[in-house]
Amino acid sequence: MAFREVFWNISYGYLVYVLALIALAIWLFSFYRRYQLWRQGRPDERFREIGERIGVFIQTVIVDIFVHRKFLRQPFSGIMHLTIFWGFIILLLASAVDAISYYSGYHLQGAPYLWFSLISDLGGFLILAGILMAAFRRYLWKPKSLNSVLDDGILLASMTAIIITGYMIEGLRQAATEIRPHPDWAIWSPGGWVFAKLFIDLSEGALRSWHKFLWWFHSVLTIGIILYSGLAFSKLQHVIVSPLNIFFRSLGPLAAPSPIDIEKAEIMGVGEIKDFTWKQLLDLDACTNCGRCEDVCPAWATNKPLSPRKLVQDLKGHMLKLSSNSVHSPEIRPSLIGEGPTEAEIWACTTCAACQEACPVYVEHILKIIDLRRHLVLAQNKMPESAQLMLRNMQMRGHPWAGAQSLRLRGDWTTNLDLKILAEGDHINTLLWVGCTGALVDRNVEVTVSLTRVLKAAGVDFAVLGEGETCCGDPARRAGYEFQFQLMAEQNIEIFKSHHIQEIITSCPHCYNIIKNEYPKYGGQFKVIHYSQLLWDLLKQEKLNLLNEIHSTLTYHDPCYLGRYNGLYSESREILKMIPKVTLKEMKRSKERSFCCGGGGGHMWIEEQPGTQKISQKRIEEVMKIEVDTVVTSCPYCLQMFEESIENKDSLKAKDLVEMVELSLKKSS
Amino acid sequence: MMGGETMNSYKGVMVLGEIAEGRLAPITIELLGIGRRLADELGEELSVLMMGGKAGALAREAIAYGADKVYVGEDSLFDEYNSDAYTQWIANFCQKTLPSILLIGHTDIGCDLAPRLNGRLRGGLAMDAVDLKIDPSTKLLVSTRPIFGGNAYAKVVSKSARPQMVTIRTKIFPPAERNDSRQGQVILVEEKVDPSVVKAKVVDRIKEEVEGVKLEDAEIIVSGGHGVGSAKNFEMLWELARLLGGTVGATRRACDEGWIPVTRQIGQSGKVVSPKLYIAVALSGAMSHIVGCLGSKCIVAINKDPEANIFNVAHFGIVADYKEVLPVLIQKFKEQRSG
Amino acid sequence: MHTIVCVKQVPDPEIPPAKFKIDPVAKKVIPPPGVPPVISVYDERAVEAACRLKDKHKGKITVISLGTEKATDVVRHAISMGADDGYVLQDEAFENLDSFGTAYVLGKAIQKIGGYDLILCGRQAADWGAGQVGSILGEILGLPVITLACDIQAEDKKLKVKRILKDGFEVIEAPMPALVTVSSEIGLPRLPAGMALMLARRKQIPIWKAKDIGADLSELDRSKAHTEITEIFIPTREMKCEMISGATPAEMAANLVSKLATMI
Repeated sequence: MAFREVFWNISYGYLVYVLALIALAIWLFSFYRRYQLWRQGRPDERFREIGERIGVFIQTVIVDIFVHRKFLRQPFSGIMHLTIFWGFIILLLASAVDAISYYSGYHLQGAPYLWFSLISDLGGFLILAGILMAAFRRYLWKPKSLNSVLDDGILLASMTAIIITGYMIEGLRQAATEIRPHPDWAIWSPGGWVFAKLFIDLSEGALRSWHKFLWWFHSVLTIGIILYSGLAFSKLQHVIVSPLNIFFRSLGPLAAPSPIDIEKAEIMGVGEIKDFTWKQLLDLDACTNCGRCEDVCPAWATNKPLSPRKLVQDLKGHMLKLSSNSVHSPEIRPSLIGEGPTEAEIWACTTCAACQEACPVYVEHILKIIDLRRHLVLAQNKMPESAQLMLRNMQMRGHPWAGAQSLRLRGDWTTNLDLKILAEGDHINTLLWVGCTGALVDRNVEVTVSLTRVLKAAGVDFAVLGEGETCCGDPARRAGYEFQFQLMAEQNIEIFKSHHIQEIITSCPHCYNIIKNEYPKYGGQFKVIHYSQLLWDLLKQEKLNLLNEIHSTLTYHDPCYLGRYNGLYSESREILKMIPKVTLKEMKRSKERSFCCGGGGGHMWIEEQPGTQKISQKRIEEVMKIEVDTVVTSCPYCLQMFEESIENKDSLKAKDLVEMVELSLKKSS
Repeated sequence: MMGGETMNSYKGVMVLGEIAEGRLAPITIELLGIGRRLADELGEELSVLMMGGKAGALAREAIAYGADKVYVGEDSLFDEYNSDAYTQWIANFCQKTLPSILLIGHTDIGCDLAPRLNGRLRGGLAMDAVDLKIDPSTKLLVSTRPIFGGNAYAKVVSKSARPQMVTIRTKIFPPAERNDSRQGQVILVEEKVDPSVVKAKVVDRIKEEVEGVKLEDAEIIVSGGHGVGSAKNFEMLWELARLLGGTVGATRRACDEGWIPVTRQIGQSGKVVSPKLYIAVALSGAMSHIVGCLGSKCIVAINKDPEANIFNVAHFGIVADYKEVLPVLIQKFKEQRSG
Repeated sequence: MHTIVCVKQVPDPEIPPAKFKIDPVAKKVIPPPGVPPVISVYDERAVEAACRLKDKHKGKITVISLGTEKATDVVRHAISMGADDGYVLQDEAFENLDSFGTAYVLGKAIQKIGGYDLILCGRQAADWGAGQVGSILGEILGLPVITLACDIQAEDKKLKVKRILKDGFEVIEAPMPALVTVSSEIGLPRLPAGMALMLARRKQIPIWKAKDIGADLSELDRSKAHTEITEIFIPTREMKCEMISGATPAEMAANLVSKLATMI
C-alpha cells in the first residue's frame, strides 16, 4: 500500500508549529494594528442586514473568487491569478490533510494516497506556472498599468523558492525511500520525482542531511514570508483583506453618496484621511495595485491625470502617514488634497464606474472622489470654473445648462405638442420626466418630442411638468455640491407627491438613477422606469409595432448610469433587434464593460483637461472601428457628446433609441 | 443744479475732451460731430473742455473739428486721470460755465467721471447712449440707451435738472469733419486743482499687451461660438482672420470652454466691437452676444441651424456646416489675393 | 472691518430674446412666467468681494437691498454666501426712483447702520444698467469713490484697489471709509455652503420703511426726478438677412466671397 511517513527524517518537527504560531501571532497582530488604523475613520453602516450580507458574500466568493469572473476579463492576468489561487488552495488543503493524518494516526494509503500526491504536486505546478506568467508580465511585458515595487519581487522570488524547495524535499525523500523500491509510487509525485531522479546517486547520508537542511530551509522560509508579510503589511495580506472587503461591500445602489445633514454636519466631505469612513480606509488596504481599474478608466485612457489605481494607492500612502504621524501636533498634519490626489485628478472622474466594475476586490473608488469633491466645493469653494458656472446655474435657474436659457425656456419644448402639462392641484398617475438636457438642448429636445409622440402612439396616459420641472440634482451631487442636490431632491419629491404621482418615466439615465436609487433616502419612493424599459414592454404587448424597415448597421452604446449603475443592458438591444433590416453589431467594449461617453459626473459641463483627447472622441473611434452607420444610445449626455465628436456626419450618425423606434413605427395611413 | 441758478441759466453744448497720445482722442472728434449738430439744432454754441499739460496745443484742432469755444485747463496734473481731481475741478468749472448739455465719451475716464460729476452737479445723466436727439417741442436732449443687456432701449430725458449729461458709446457717431478755416475762441482756465481733494491716488498703471490686432480696433472679426466645437477647430477661424488681416472673437460659451482666452469674448460681459465685417461662425446669436457686435457694418452668419437667432441680425447668411464653408472661403480669398 | 454691500434684485437677464416683452405704457419689462428674478450679477460679485475681505480680516458684512419684499431672497442669498446681516428697504415712496432717489434712500439706510469702513456696489444693475447709483451714493456720503474694481485689498484703514481699464488696469490707494463699485472681473461668486447656508435660512430680514431710515419724502418727489424715462422699446431691425444660395456648402462659400468682394 502506497503511503509515506509524515515527518520522515525530521526530529523536532513540532518546532515548526511553534515557529508558525509565533509568525501567525505576529501576522494577526499586523491586522490588529491595521484594524486600529481603519477604526480612525468615521462610522459606516456596514453591519446592518448581516444575513443578506453573508448571502451576498458567499455568492461573490463563488463567482468572483472561485470562478474568477472579474479576473478573467483580462485573460492573461486572469489565468495567472487563477492558477496561483487554486495552487495555494490545493497546497493549503494538502498540508491540512498531512497534519490531520499525522496527528490522527489515520494515514492515506494506496490509490487515494497516490492521487493525493499527484494533486498536491499539481498545486505546486499551478503556482509555478502562475508565478512564471506573473514574472514574465511584471518584468518583461510590463503593461503600463502595472506598477512594480520591491514587495512584488520578494513575494514572487520567495514563492518560487518555497515551491522548488518543496519539490526538492519530496525528491530527496523519494530518492532515499521510494524511487528504488516503489518507482511506480514516486511517479505520482512528478515534482519530487524529477529531483529524485537527479539525486538518485547520492548516498543515503547525504540525502538525509540535504533533506533535513532543505526541509528546515523550506519551513523557515515559509514562516519567514508570513512574518515578513505581517511586519511589512505586504500585498500578501490581501488574502485576508480582500475577502474582508468583499464581505463589507456596499449592498445598496452603486456609488450612491451618503446624505450630509445640513443642520448638524461638522465635516463637509473628506479634507483629511480620517474623514473617510472605516470601510473606505479598509478599501485602501484591500487594493493590491493590480491596475485593472486603470486599464478601463476613461480619464486615464485619454491622458488625464486621474488613475483610480494611483488615487487609491496615494490615499493609502496618506493613511500610513497617519499611523506614523499620530504623535505629531495637528498643525503639521499633511493635507490630503494636493499631497495625496491633486485637484486635477479629483475633477477628472466621470463617475462611469468602469473601475468599480473591474475591481476584483470591490474597492469603491467613486464615493471617495465625490467625498473629496465635497470637501473642495463645500469647505474650500475650490473647483474648476466650468463646474462653478454649472453649479451656480443650478442654484439660480434650477438647471445646469448655463447660458441655454438665453435661447429657450424650460417649458418651450412643449409648444404645439398637445401634452398634459401639470398645473397646481392636478393629479396624475404617470409622469414623463424629461430632464434638463431633454428640455433645453436642441438635439435632445428633438428626442424628447419624439418620445412624447411614441408614447402617445402607444396610448400611454402621461403628463409632463413643463416649465415646472427642475433639475433632478444629479450634476450637483456628483460634483460634490450636496446641498443643492438635497434641496432639489426635497423639492421634487414634494412636487411628485402634490400631484399624486405613482410612476415616473425618465428619458435620462442620470435622472432615472438618482430618482430611483437616491431619492428614497429623502422620502421619495416612486416606481421609476427608464423609457427603454417602457418601450420594450409596449412592444411585447404589441401596443407598438415596428414595421418600417431601416436599412442600417448600427451599434448600441450603453450609458453608464443605465448599464453599470442599474444593470439594464438587454431592453435597448431587444428593441433594436425588432426593427426590420437592422443589423446590431457590438463594440469591443460593451455592456458592463462599456466605455464612458465622457459626460457623467458633471462632465457634461465641467471641461475636460485642455490638451487631452476628449473621452467622447475615443469612444467614437471605437464605434468607427466596427464599421457601422449609426451609433444608438439612450442617454441625452451620450447623444450630446457624440454629436459633438462625430466629425463626418455623413458616415456616422448618432441617434437616440426612441428616434429609431419612431422611424420604424407603422405610419398611420 | 446746485441751487441759485434757474434752468435758463444753463446754455450751450459742451464736450469733455480727451487726449490720447498727444492728440484729440477719436471719441472726442465723434463727440464734436454730434455736439455740433445738437448745438446747431438748439441754436447755441458748442464748447469743448481740454485738460492736460499740452492741452493748449490741441485747441486749434478742436476748433477745426467744430468747436466754437475751447476751454483749456493747462495743468500737467491732468495728464494722468485722477477721479478726485477731475471731479472736483470739472464740477467747479461747470458751475461757472453752466453748460446745458455735457457730452462725455463712454470711455475709461467717462465711465468713472460722469456719474461722480453728476453726483456733484446734481444734473441728469444717461450712460452709454447710442442715439441723441433734441426734442423739437421741448428742446430737451433725448438720449437713447440700452437696458436689460441690450434686449430693449430706453429714451431718457432730464426735465428739471441741469446739466443734461450723457456718456456716448464710441464709434456710434461719425467723426466730425475737419475744417481748418473754422474760427473759434480759446479760453484758458486759470484755476488750479486743490490738492487736498485728492484722496484716492493712482499708484500703478499697467497696460496689457494684446497680440496682433486689438479686438476693438479690428476691421474684420471672425467670431466663433459653442458650435465650433474645440480649440483645435478655432485654428480654422484664426487662419481666415489672419488671411483677411483681422482677428478672432468668441462667445462666452466658447470662452467658458477654454477654447480661446476670455479676453477674446464679445458681448454683454465682454468687448463691444464694430468692425467693417463680422463673420459669425457656428454661434447661435444669444442676445448677450449680439449686443457686442450689433455695431458691425456687415454681419455674415454661418450656422447649420436655419432658425438660429444670428440670422435675424445678419446681412448675409449661409445655412451649412461651417467646417465645409470655411476651407472654401480661405481658399477663395487666397486666390483673390494672389490673382 | 465692517463692509456694507448694496444689492439689487433684477429680472433674470438670461431670457430668450423672443420672450422678452415690455409694457410700453407702464415703461416696465414683463418677465416671462416661470423665470424667477435673480440677484444682479455685479452686485453678487460685490458680495463676493466683501466675503473675500472678511475671509482675510474677519469683521462683518451688512447687506441692503432696495426693492420689493421679495428682495429678501437676494439678501438671504448674500447671507448664504457669508454676509452677517441684511435689510430690505421697501416703501411705496421708494418705487420707480431715479439714480439720485435710489442713492438717497441707500444713503439714509447706510447712515442708520453706521460704523462702516467700506461700501460696495455692483458697477451697474443688470436690468436698467444706469451705472450711477454707487458714484452718487459716494458723493452723498462724502466718500472717495473707486469704480470698476477687480481686486480689493485692505490694510490698516487703507484700501488698495485694482480697477480695470480697457487696455489694462490701474491700482488706486484710498483711505477708508470709501465706496467701491465692483466689476465682474473680480471672479465668480462663491457657492453658498455650510453654516452660512443654515444661517441664511433662519435669518430674520427686517424691512425698513421710509420712516425707519428717516427718509425725507420730499426728496423722493417724482416731479423732482433728475432723469425720466419717456419711452422704452425693443429694437426692430428692418434689415433682412440675405441667404446665400448654392447647392453645396462650397458653392455657397464661393458665392459669399463674390458678395463680399467690395468689402475686403
